[in-house]
Parts: sequence; structure tokens; C-alpha cells
Amino acid sequence: MSENNSNTEKTASVSILRKRWKKFKTIKRGYYSFLLILFLYILSFLLPLFIGRDALIVKYNGEYSFPIFKYYSAESFGQELQGEANYRLLKKQYQEEDKGNWVLLPLYPFGPNENLLDEMGGNPPHPPSAQHWCGTDDRGRDVFARLAHGFNIGLSFSIIVTLLTYVIGIAIGAILGFYGGKIDIFGLRLIEIWGTLPFLFVIIIISSIIQPNFLLLIFILTLFGWIGIVYYIRGEFYREKARDYVSAAVSMGAKNSKIIFSHILPNSLTPVISFAPFAIVANIFSLVSLDFLGFGLPPPTPSWGQLMQQGLSNIDNWWLIVTPLVAMFFTLLTIVFIGEAIREAFDPKIYSRLR
Amino acid sequence: MTSYFIRRFLLIIPTFFGITLITFLILQIVPGGPLEMEIMKIRMGGNKGGTESGSGGNSTQNIPQSAVEELTKFYGFDKPIQERYVIWVTNLLKLDLGKSYVYAEPVSDVIVSRFPVSIYFGLIGFILTYLICVPLGVYKAVKNGSTFDFISSALVFIGYAIPGFAFGALMLVLLGGGSFFDVFPLGGFRSSDFESLSFFGKIADQINHTILPVVSYLIGSFATLTILTKNSVIENLSQDYIRTAFSKGLSEKRVIFGHALRNSLIPISTGLGHAISLVLAGSVLIEKVFNINGIGLLSFDSIVQRDYPVVMGILVISTLLLLVGNIISDIIYALVDPRIRFK
Repeated sequence: MSENNSNTEKTASVSILRKRWKKFKTIKRGYYSFLLILFLYILSFLLPLFIGRDALIVKYNGEYSFPIFKYYSAESFGQELQGEANYRLLKKQYQEEDKGNWVLLPLYPFGPNENLLDEMGGNPPHPPSAQHWCGTDDRGRDVFARLAHGFNIGLSFSIIVTLLTYVIGIAIGAILGFYGGKIDIFGLRLIEIWGTLPFLFVIIIISSIIQPNFLLLIFILTLFGWIGIVYYIRGEFYREKARDYVSAAVSMGAKNSKIIFSHILPNSLTPVISFAPFAIVANIFSLVSLDFLGFGLPPPTPSWGQLMQQGLSNIDNWWLIVTPLVAMFFTLLTIVFIGEAIREAFDPKIYSRLR
Repeated sequence: MTSYFIRRFLLIIPTFFGITLITFLILQIVPGGPLEMEIMKIRMGGNKGGTESGSGGNSTQNIPQSAVEELTKFYGFDKPIQERYVIWVTNLLKLDLGKSYVYAEPVSDVIVSRFPVSIYFGLIGFILTYLICVPLGVYKAVKNGSTFDFISSALVFIGYAIPGFAFGALMLVLLGGGSFFDVFPLGGFRSSDFESLSFFGKIADQINHTILPVVSYLIGSFATLTILTKNSVIENLSQDYIRTAFSKGLSEKRVIFGHALRNSLIPISTGLGHAISLVLAGSVLIEKVFNINGIGLLSFDSIVQRDYPVVMGILVISTLLLLVGNIISDIIYALVDPRIRFK
């Protein structure tokens, strides 16, 4: 009986998701933004294949090596350099020698943390050129490579923070909303205190003591990010709790955990899900702001905020501000479009047009 | 309902002390506090002084124990932490926020000196947002689905996808005389020769320094308020009482402005409660970009320089404003919407 019951419920919930997915697909702007960002994000995990300093394949004296996976010294390829091989120079060298050796470089053969001063000469930052699409920064590093790697880092960062804050926020919101009473009153006070703490203050204080890394920053942002979701979920639980289907579940003797997870939760997720893309945008904002203020990811991590900070202190070098801004702008805009489409797809109300 | 709001006001007390206690603890416990910074400064300074006077010849440059003790006493670190908090709270109740370590002035003076800048930008931003977003939202709702609606939505979302400070930085590059046009000054609240300008020169100078920061402040807040207004109006337009009004034969204008608009403005009016926070308005990021000496930059600097009395002072004022603002918002909500009953 109960199995049968949960089966019908599951099919029902799948079909409503499918309906929403169908509606989402009809909102072209959001749907294509979603495909685009998904494609770029997956691609960005393979970035070293496209943008990076290490050659993909080197053929030297009849032997193939794959420097992208392994460190090779310059000598091992017959290059007269100290330390690691420089594959761009190696390619030129092989072409001049014409002995059947060759190097397959990534499409854009510059790494994000690679100092190019030796090869380029002059004073950094260099303006954009055919070779360096977005110029170099004040340490002679290629801006385009840094932007591309920064995309992966920034988006990963904010997706992880969003997921973690959602899990924590939903759990706490569900407990407060479901049990209510004293737990709710006491919990809300604590949350109000926690939520009013100026979190930028705390991050700056912590960052000025310990050099934050990726994980620590995720931890701190998660610590302060879950509060908004609690209020949403708590409100939804309060509303859903009073519905007939919950009373029915209670009278059938369902356990609290069962009621929370399989009855109320699926019905109360709508507002927070449609809010998720905007949360991702907000978290990218936070990371960029912290990097801009110099309290974000440790150098030499490629970051958009840090580039903009450089740009602001060298206001003549416009590309240091314009390029990260354009990158950020397109990323955030596509996510905002997705968010708008999700919100529309999840919204059961069909607004009647005036007359 | 009066008792509800009295209870809300009383609840400010535990929340307020909770917040100050947590921040106080964090500030006092973390290493690298003002004491360590001062000792380090003396060490570096002592190094210099030592070579100049040629006295001592002690290369380790240890500070005498008595001086360290004196400093510890000066910063109050000789007492246990709970006692320090109690002292701080007692002084607070006497409306004494202490003295800034950096500026050597009372904290309240330091903070109040930044009020004019905050109020200036805060008020202009606040008024402009409401003045532009509400009519725009209403118009977009009425013309829902039109080309104008589509284009303005796109523009608003584009604005939402640019952080204000980044936009400000871009504007400085484009218009601040860096690489392209030299239309606006590079930053600051006023020109350095402001006092010597004529009356109209002063006005022109002030406006010239105002436009870019204000636009940066506005660009992000546009989206939220415009879309909120639009959705609220649309939702009301689909209600039964609007159909009734139409079927009575009222004109479209009458229905929108006489019936729909009044109800639609309810959710928008609740934001007004936080207008009291305008005295402390100011974003660190935008102030840093435009080099404006406002509250944002003050709080940022005081954290970096470990000027803890100022940090706590700003926290006290902003927390109180926020908590009271929350309640005022709810009161406004109850006043404009008789259906709302708090209990």
C-alpha cells in the first residue's frame, strides 16, 4: 500500500519536473544560455589542452612524449635552457633544424602563471596583440590565459559555495519550520545574530591573519551564506505543514523524517531552486570583490578581481579592466538569463495580459 | 499589534549584544591585533632610531618588558577578555565609544565626520532609484510583452550582471582621462581647490565628481526594484477586483492608477524602513574605486589597521540602524496594508 503510494507520488513529481523542463526549453534566451555556459564550463576543465604552456605532444628523435602530463627538463628535448623546457621556443628550434622533430602546442600556447618577460621584452603590461589577445598584466603574464583559467576557478568556486549553502540552509530551515515552537524562536534569534554580522568584515579579518586558500574561502563564504535560504525554506515549511496531505501522512503514522524529506521538501524547493542561479551570480560577485580588495585567493591564482585591481592602479592600461569586465559580464549575464528562465518555468501562475 | 512591536523592540537587545559579543571576541582573540602591530612598529622604528643615535648597540632590538606592559595596559589587554567586554559595554551605555587608535580622536567624531559623504551619495542614490524604477516598473507591467518591455528588461538585466564597482572602474578608464576621453575627474569627493571656486564652480565641481559614483551605485539596484514593481503590478492586474473595475466601465488609466497601483506599491514601500541606514551608506568597493573617503573605506581601513574601537563603533551604529530599520519596515507594511496583522 505504502509502496504503491510513494510510486504514484514519484511519477507525479517527475512529470511536473519534466513539464517545467519543457517550459524551460521554450524560453530560448535562457535555454541557449544554459547550453552555452554548460558547454564552456565542461570545456574549461580541459583548458590545458587549449590554453597552456605545456606542449601536448613532442616528437624528438623518433620518440613521442606528452609534456602536458609530465615534467620534462629542457635538456631532454635538446634545448639549451635551464629547468623546464620552453615548448614555444622548442617548436621554432625544431622547425629551423628540420630534422623531423616536431611539437604540438595547445591552440593558445601561453600559461596563466607564466612570466613572458624574457620572450617579449619591453615593459609590462603589454597591450593586446595578435599573439596575446588580451595583452599581458603587470607581471608579464598573458591576460587571456588568466581570464580563461579564472572562469573555471570562479564558476567552480561559486557552484560549490551555492551547493553547500543550500544543503545547510535547507536542513536548518526545514528543522525550524517543521518543529516550530521553542526551537524556532531560539534558532531564529541565533540566525538573526549570525546574519547581521557584517560578513565582509569577518572575511577581511580572517584573511588578514591567514592567507586564505580555495577551501578556506569556500568554508568562510558558506559559513555566512546559508542564512537567506533558511528564511525561504522555513516559511515554505510553515505553509506546507498546515496542508491536508501532511495531516494525512501524520495520521497514517509516517515518521517525521519521512514527512520532511519525501512529503514537504519536494513541495517547498521551488522558490530556492529558481533562486539558485542568482545565488551563483552573487557568489561570483563575492569572490571578485574579495580578490579586488586583495583578500581573496592567494597569488598567483588567476582571478578576475585581481586583474581589475591591477587595471585600476594602472588606469592607462585599459585592457586590464575591460577584458575581465567583459568576461565577467558575459558569464554573469548568461547565468542571469538562465535564472530568469528557470523562474518563469517554475512559476505556476500564468499572468493574464491586461485585457 | 502594539504589543507585538514592543516585543520586537525588546528583542533588539539580545540580538544586539549577541552581535557585538561575537565580533568583539573575534577581534580580540585573533592574532596580529593592535598590540602586536604597535610592538612591531616600535621595533622597526627602534631599529632606525638606534642607528641614528648610535646608542645601545643592542642589535636584537628587544623592547623593554616595562614598555610592553605599558602598551598592554594602554590597549586594555592586561585584563581578561570578559572584563574587557564588560568595560566596553559600560562605556557604550554611557554613549562613549572610546578613542580611535589611528586618528587619536573619539570614535564618534571619526564616524560622524564621514556622515556627510554617506548621506550625500546614499540619499541621491535612494531617491533616484525610486524615482526611476517605480514608474519604469509600472510602465513595463502595463506594456508587458512589448518591444519596450523586452529591451528595457534586457538593459536592466545587463546592469544587474555588472558589479557596480567594476562598472565604475570601466567608466574611469573610458571617461576618466586614462586612455580615452577626459570627461570626469579620476575620483575624490571634490577637487582639491574646491574652497577657492566660485559658487557655480563649486556646484559644477560637485556634480562632476558625483555622476560616476552615483551611476555605479545605481546600476545594480535598478534590476531588483524595477522587476519587483513590474511583477507586483502584473500580479495585481490579474486579480478579480481589476476585472470588476473594468466591467464597471472604468477607463484603463483609472483602473491602473486608482486601483492596481495602490496595491502594487505595498511590497515596494517596505524597503523604506531601511532608509535610516543611509547615514552609513557606502560600499567599500565603490569608494575604493573612486577614492571617496566615506564610511565604507573607513571601516575597511580600520579593519586593516586594527583600529578596533572604530570597527566596533561602526558595527554598533550599523547594527542598531539595521535592526530598527527591520522593525520600521514591518510597521510601514502594517500601516499601508490593513490585511497584514502581526501578532
